[in-house]
Amino acid sequence: MSTILTRRGGLGLLLALAVWLLALGSAPVMAQAEPAAAQVERQQTQPLNNAPVWREVRSGESHFTTVRGPETGVLIQNEGNTWRQWRNGPISFYGGILLLVVPTAIGLFFAVKGAIKLHGAPTGRKMQRFSRFERFVHWGTAGSFVVLGITGVCILFGKHFIEPIFGNAVLGGLLWAGKTVHNYLGPVFGVFTLLMILTFLRDNVWQAIDSVWIRKAGGIASGEHVPSGRFNFGEKTWFWIGVTFLGLLVAISGLVMDFPNFGQTRADMQLANIVHGVGAILLIALSLGHIYMGTIGVEGAYQSMRTGYVDETWAKEHHQFWHDEVKAGRSRP
Amino acid sequence: MARMKFLCDAERCIECNGCVTACKNEHEVPWGVNRRRVVTINDGVPGERSMSVACMHCSDAPCIAVCPTNVIYQTEEGVVLHDKDGCIGCGYCFYACPFGAPQFPNGPAAFGARGKMDKCTFCAGGPEENGSQAEFDKYGRNRLAEGKLPLCAEMCSTKALLAGDATELSDIFRERVLRRGKGVEAWGWMTAYGKDKEEAK
Repeated sequence: MSTILTRRGGLGLLLALAVWLLALGSAPVMAQAEPAAAQVERQQTQPLNNAPVWREVRSGESHFTTVRGPETGVLIQNEGNTWRQWRNGPISFYGGILLLVVPTAIGLFFAVKGAIKLHGAPTGRKMQRFSRFERFVHWGTAGSFVVLGITGVCILFGKHFIEPIFGNAVLGGLLWAGKTVHNYLGPVFGVFTLLMILTFLRDNVWQAIDSVWIRKAGGIASGEHVPSGRFNFGEKTWFWIGVTFLGLLVAISGLVMDFPNFGQTRADMQLANIVHGVGAILLIALSLGHIYMGTIGVEGAYQSMRTGYVDETWAKEHHQFWHDEVKAGRSRP
Repeated sequence: MARMKFLCDAERCIECNGCVTACKNEHEVPWGVNRRRVVTINDGVPGERSMSVACMHCSDAPCIAVCPTNVIYQTEEGVVLHDKDGCIGCGYCFYACPFGAPQFPNGPAAFGARGKMDKCTFCAGGPEENGSQAEFDKYGRNRLAEGKLPLCAEMCSTKALLAGDATELSDIFRERVLRRGKGVEAWGWMTAYGKDKEEAK
């Protein structure tokens, strides 16, 4: 049924995906004996008319074969075409555009507004912002994420930009290494993501004071310093949508494809691949914002995660409530 | 230029698996990989039908469309071949193919370490020099370069499986269909196993 979805654009594809998902759920319910009976009856009434058999060929059901292997009993699986249309269509096209537009927008923003600098003079007194363990978890996640992001982008887009420049042999060699690294580093990223969520969960719970940040849009446009707790609402959004939701989504869908030895069908892995692609592209786009703010976007932000310490002026200007709480001894540094 | 195609006549296939064996032997296919397989529908029930399936060498091949390293290509004769040197074993061709043609020597291995994809070459080898040892080691025999057709079809005992130029195959099959059920049946399941014509009425 899902073959009708050839090249019809977005709505057709959406419809097809819905049909496909429905088919995934209901396919095994179809009884085996009924079509056989239909064929027997058809042979009596219309000899040589094999229509019931051909319907079964297109059904995607598994039939008898002596050849052992994944889904060898299935003669024709329709879902592959749906997956192809999604991957080569909207995911490549809109995903590619997003990954070009976001860095350009960030670059323009930096060119126009520049970095957010400290207003007051540094006091020279440092206070601890991140523990050694927190920094280990952050850089473990960050490092594995960057490698996975680059190799993943090359697997999806490599033939559009690496091959025309360096040729097919370079693309093949690069992707062979890239795919191997991607497959072995993926589970490591999954573990780091879990650690990250557990480590930073407590301070990312929404608080009443976040409403001030939302109302002033973080002061991004005005340049005003909005008071916040240990993490502001922007950071919390990155934590919940980026790290937690998209991070787990990408890690889990990746594991489905990384370990095909648990008997996943092609349909399972196609769905995982679509989820993985969409999730990863959104995560990369968001991460570019986070990386910008953590490096050149905000003066002193990179030092805080590298050394674990920030100047008191920085703490007061960026995270005033956190600064006050630490000073009052109500919060651990 | 010919357009190469396979055609399997479901009225004739008797599930002898001769094509599967011929292919494995001719190309010394890796253990666990079967470039061709026979699938039987309604096995053991009256009205069962078998058909042999391998790479169908599609015109708009999904495997070519999704390969991230662009190593799958189509020859002028319409045969879909691939360059194993650039294959990374990602399995995307396996996801995309409707017929389950792409296979992997390591099977569904952990960490996606499938090894390099292997599939039916229509007995046309690969990008290496025709008839070279390197070509044989990676892709098996190049019979097309020797002027021969795929061995699976050549070996088929009932001539259910045909391989060759699409127009030729169409002519043969059309001829068969016209003769079937026209009084003097030349071939067909009903002739061999079905009821007597008088009885069937």
